[in-house]
Order: sequence, then structure tokens, then C-alpha cells
Amino acid sequence: MSSLLARAVRTGIRNPLSSRLHQPMAAIRFQSTEAKAAATATEEYDVVIVGGGIAGSALACALASNKASSTLKIALIEAFDLSNHIKWSPRPDQYSNRVSSLTPKSVAFLKKIGVWSELDSSRVAACEGMQVWDGVSGARITFDAADVDGIQSSFLHQVFSGNIPTPPGVNSSTNQENLDGNKEASPLAWMTENLHVQYGLQKQLVGHQARGVKLDIFEKTKVQGITTEQGESAQPQGDWPAVQLDNGKTLVTRLLVGADGVNSPVRSFAKIESLGWDYSQFGLVGTLQIDPSTSTAPGQGKGIAWQRFLPTGPIAMLPLNNGYASLVWSTTPKIAQDLKKLPARDFCALVNAAFSASPAELEYLYKNIGPNGEPLVDFQKEIEWRTSVHDQEASQTMIRGGSSSQGDAKPPRVVDVQENSRAPFPLRMRNSSSYVEDRVVLVGDAAHTVHPLAGQGLNQGLADVECLARVIETSLLSGSDIGNIHSLTPYSSERFLPNLAMLGTVDKLSKLYNTDFGPVVWARSLGLTAVDKMGPIKNEIMRFAMGLEEPSKRS
Amino acid sequence: MSARIFTRTNSSVLKQCLTRTGATPSLARSAVPSPTGKLYEGHIPISPLQRTILAVGSAFTALANPLRGDMVAALGETTSGIFLNRIRDQMLQDPEGRRILRERPVITSETMQLDTLRQLPDGTFGREYVRFLDDQQVSPDTREPVHYVDSEELAYVMQRYRETHDFYHTLTGLPVTVDGEIALKWFEMAQTGLPMTMLSSFFGPLRLSSEERERLFNVYVPWALENGSTGKLLMNVRWEEWMEKPVEDVQRELGVRPCPEV
Repeated sequence: MSSLLARAVRTGIRNPLSSRLHQPMAAIRFQSTEAKAAATATEEYDVVIVGGGIAGSALACALASNKASSTLKIALIEAFDLSNHIKWSPRPDQYSNRVSSLTPKSVAFLKKIGVWSELDSSRVAACEGMQVWDGVSGARITFDAADVDGIQSSFLHQVFSGNIPTPPGVNSSTNQENLDGNKEASPLAWMTENLHVQYGLQKQLVGHQARGVKLDIFEKTKVQGITTEQGESAQPQGDWPAVQLDNGKTLVTRLLVGADGVNSPVRSFAKIESLGWDYSQFGLVGTLQIDPSTSTAPGQGKGIAWQRFLPTGPIAMLPLNNGYASLVWSTTPKIAQDLKKLPARDFCALVNAAFSASPAELEYLYKNIGPNGEPLVDFQKEIEWRTSVHDQEASQTMIRGGSSSQGDAKPPRVVDVQENSRAPFPLRMRNSSSYVEDRVVLVGDAAHTVHPLAGQGLNQGLADVECLARVIETSLLSGSDIGNIHSLTPYSSERFLPNLAMLGTVDKLSKLYNTDFGPVVWARSLGLTAVDKMGPIKNEIMRFAMGLEEPSKRS
Repeated sequence: MSARIFTRTNSSVLKQCLTRTGATPSLARSAVPSPTGKLYEGHIPISPLQRTILAVGSAFTALANPLRGDMVAALGETTSGIFLNRIRDQMLQDPEGRRILRERPVITSETMQLDTLRQLPDGTFGREYVRFLDDQQVSPDTREPVHYVDSEELAYVMQRYRETHDFYHTLTGLPVTVDGEIALKWFEMAQTGLPMTMLSSFFGPLRLSSEERERLFNVYVPWALENGSTGKLLMNVRWEEWMEKPVEDVQRELGVRPCPEV
């Protein structure tokens, strides 16, 4: 017995948490993570989350909220300052330029982990409708939250989750009960600043720490390297990842979570390939001040998101509160840089033109931006002239009782852009060949990156986190090793296919609309106009994008 | 002359047939009490079916008798659709083209001040232009107005295209013979891509003698394609401002070599 103990101690020093199954002490090790004998500044954790962005913080929050997983020892590592988020107190007339749309599914998750109630509702705007149209042909599709059928879960979600789908339109009796009292149509999405969500998350995390959850937050700390346990370990399943921090500490963990963004070091460590491509587009974000009275949409366009597909990329205006809106304009790298440098007045005129003028007219304006961002022609005058030509033709066409474009709603006019809020970022599509490896799992942008045109990136990340937290909880309750790859595969099988489907769809859409080639424009306009008239299909698209799933599936 | 009157009546009968078959049915639907629904003077709105019939009918008539200017015009207008859009978009990219679209100058014998142009020295563009008009006994006022284009701005573009045709003759030196006109159509096709020009370019030679056809394809067409595609887009040129320049200078600045003498 003593020799066995001695042997255990010796191996313990070399490989303190090795889970060699033939060791008789193995069972005990699985249930506790007390450090055996660490000579270096090594600490053991059950879960180390690399990356304190929204995905990483939400995972920490979800683990701390669930009953079983709140007993885990969790570390969250972030290179930037996280405590700043709690001190966030923005001015009511200023909005950060990084705004995301949160689907009802994401909001339900945020409610579950207690973050939603921390948010300031005056800085959360509901999106009740969307107007999307083709910049070349004018073909338009409109989505209205009031049309979404709340009862049935999305047919596509059922297909991708592997259940036998009930046909759309058939009400299953189990779902009827869940509807009691809740007859109001949910908005399509909620728009709020990423910093706002972070504020809520960090507040919750601090709260969890205060009530005793073993959650260590390493902020302003970089990861210098990740290795598997040093030494000669020959067992492929045996080693725990060790994360070396730049403060000298090493964290050895049962499960390593990569929530560290698109260039994930955790993913490289796990030797998981990231497949995809860069779009030759940059996304320009900015905060706009709009004049709601200029919109011809019902209700002055309150809560309506506008997106126009130009051949250079889509331009989108997302509603915020109090006469503000968030801009996401995907365009060529050169144009994005020029747009950033334009004076505010000309920039606003150009944004307004981008929602109404023809691509040829916009081309002329793009070409006339000087090297320092100064306009080489009078933007206002040129745009006014072109607008007057269009208006004249439109009014004459209306007299003739002509085209259908007379009924098209117009977005509100942009009157100002918030100073220093214009920022370009590169767009790309990535998907990892696998989301899980032995003792490693990827969530959020580390796992997949998508074009922003459908507002899905953050929501996919939150869906990953929600699923992973659930999977970890289930593993714990059944006594398994949460880091073992077999415990992680339910996460992969639940998330891989839906993410891939979303990525693929958004990618095809962006390619379809990236051209002004005649036959393609004709075909896509025909398709769009047709779908606009097919209620059930539109309904399905909205529900897929909103992430609506069958309530009875949730445990 | 009587034959000409006869053909004139024919064309108006054809047009009347088309216009009477409910050219403006949409007006009945409109609640606004505007009588015409016309976008511009001379506009005749027609339905897509009428448009197709007119296109086919005028194609055959124009082929049979290319001197029927009105049928040639109708063919051009019914087929140009998206191509006028393209020309207009190209004009929007060029500062001079934009000025033309904004100011919409019209070329008539009045606005061109032909008497003044006749006083210009020989060899200037204006003098040679008037000489060409006088030789051919035509004036800028004999162009058929635009009828079947459903946009005011695009109708102007079409009109400008027609009005500047005589300048192309002066610029290139091509004569107003059948093969000269066809060569000029090839040149315009290389410049604008208008289907009308393509139809004339491909079907026009059917009416030529084999000797004329040979000359066309050996000499004129290569010249037309080369010069039409590399030079500046002529729709962007404010011809009115180039009158006093010598013809060689104009040709050089526009990147067009004079057509070879045959």
C-alpha cells in the first residue's frame, strides 16, 4: 500500500492530474481537483476559458448559474481590462459603434443566466420589422414581427436538430399550453451595444464570485503558450492542457475552452484546422443620428431595420432608440477607408444616397473622394440633382399608374454621424473542421466566423455557449469527465450542423448579391419578389433567423 | 415623292394601330386626373406586347427599306431598354457627360447657329460639319423624335445619340452611303453596345453587293472596331464646344483615326 502511495506521489509530482485509467487512484482524481504537489506556480482548474469576450464571459456566467457546474473551479482569461465594463456609464446621446442584434433565442438565454435584467431598457431597441431590397433592380422583401407564428417551432431547426419534423402549420398540442397568456408578437430581434451586454455579464460574474463560486478572472493577462503536460506522457488521452500566462502562472485544466476569437490560439494548440476565406470586403460601422419624420414607413420607421444590397456589398441601418441608428456598411476595402475619412456632412449625404441612388451614381461619388478623404466634387449638389431626376420620374410614373415601386417605404434620413464612431473591419468566413478535441472545445468566433449581413454571428456564439453549458451540466450529473471528448461530442453534434447551415446560407447570399451581372440580377430579383409574396416561406425564414425552437426540448 | 407620301402614311397607320389598341390602358386605373401620363413631349407609352410587335414589325420594315427613318427609330427605341441605362450610367461617370445630362442641350439648326458655323475657317470641325450637312441636304431638324422610351432622362439620351450622329460622320469622314452608314453602325456598336447597332451591323450587309461587303469587312469594320472601343465614349462629348477646333485636333483628342479612304 505504501509503495503504491509513494508511486502515486511520484507520478503526482510529474503529472499531478494525469488521468491514467489503469491507476487505482484514478476514480478519486476525477472527482476532485486538489493540487497534488506543484513545485511551479501551477494551479489546477476544471474549466479554463481563454477569452473574456461576450462568448467567454457568457459561458462563465452560464456555468456559474447552473446548479452542478457552479461547483466547478473556473478560470476566465482576458487580455484586456474587464473590470472597466462594470463601470460603463454611457451618455444617453452616444452609442458605441459595435452594436449587435440579439435574437429571441439569445435573449431567452441571457434572461436565464440573469444578464438581461441587468440591462438598461432605454438602451435596448426592439426590431419589429425589416426591409431588404436589391440595389440594382429594386426588388424588395419585407419582414414583419407581427407575422411570425409563435406557436410552431422553426421547421428548419427541427430538421437540423435531427428530430422528426412536424409539418409547418400544424399545431402540436404540447406547444399550445406554453402559450398561455403570451399572445404578444415577439420582436424579430433586439439591438444593443456589445459593451452593454458585457456590462451585464461582468456584473453577474462579480455577483457569482461574491456568493462563493470558484471563479477566477485573470484580466489584463495574455496567454503566452499552451502545452499539454510536460513530460513523457505516452497516453493520448492522458494529458491535461496547461496554459502559461504572462504573469508567470500556469493553469492546468480538465477542459480548455477557446473563446478567443477568429485567430484562436486554443484552436491552433488543438491542431484544429480553420477553413474558409476572406471576403474582399470591409465592414464599416458607425453610429448615426437620424430624422425619423423623414421615413415613409408606417410608424415613421420605428424599430425597422433597413438593408440594401449594392454590388459592392450590403448597407444596413439598424434601429436604436431616441433617433439613433447603427450603420453596418460592407464594401470594398478602399471605399471603406475613404468613407472613414470623409467629412461628416458628406458622409451622411453619401449614406443617404446609398439607400436610394443607383450603383452607377454611387460609383461616381466613390471615385471622387481624394486621398485625404476630402470630396473632390460637391456631394450635396450632385446627390440633389440625381434625387430630383428620380423624384420627377417617380411622380410621373405614379401618374401613369405604373410601377410597383411607388409603394416602397424609404428609410429615415441621416442627419449626423457620431464623431470617431466610423471604423472598418475585415470580413471573412471561417469554420473549424471540428469544434471539439480531447479536453478542448471551441465556442463563438474561435469556432466560426460569418458575414455580418444577417446579424447572426453573436447569436451563433451565444447558442454555442448555451449548448456547451448544458452539455457540461449533463456530464457532471452523470459523473463523467467533462473534458473527455466523448462528453463533448453532444455539443459538437448539436452545434456543428446548424452553424454550418447558417454560414453557408449567409455566404451564398453575399455572393449572390455581390454582382450586377444582368441575368443574375434578374433571377435573384424574381426569386426575392416571389418569396416576398409567399407568407409561409417568409415566416419560416424569420423563425430560422430568430432561432425559435420547440420549447418542450429545453430541459 | 408620291411613294414617299405613301410610305409616310403607312408608318402612321402602323403607329395608329398600335396606339389605338389601348396604348394607355393604365390611365383608366389612375386616380389622379392627369390626362396624358406622358413623361415628355412626344412620349407614347406602350405595353410590353405592343413593344414586341413594334420591334419585330419595324425590324422587317427597316431591313426592307433602310431609308425609313421612323422605322429605324422605332426599332432602336423598342430594343434599347437596358442599354440606354448603361450609356446613361457611363455618362454619369464622366464630368462632361454629367454636364450634358444636367443641362440637356438640344441640337437644332437654331441652337447650332449654322450660319455662324459657315463663317468658320475651312478645316475646323464646325465648318466641315456644315459642309457635310449642306452636301447631303439634311438639317439637324429632320431627326425623328423619341416616342417609345419610358423614362424622360433615357429619352433624352436616345435623342442626343441621334442628334450627334451627324457629328460622327464629320469626325470619322464616313460618307452617307449605305456601306458608309453600316460602317458607322459598327463603330457605334463598339462604342455603345446598343442592340439597334448590332442589328444594323449584322443584317445591313445583306443588302450590299459582294464587292461592297468585301470592302466593308476588310477595311471599314476593323477600323470601326478598333477606333470605337479605344477612343473616348463619344456620348460624353459636348460637340457644341468643339466647333472651332481643327478636325485633326478633335480626332486626336478623342482617340479616333480618320477612316481610311477607299
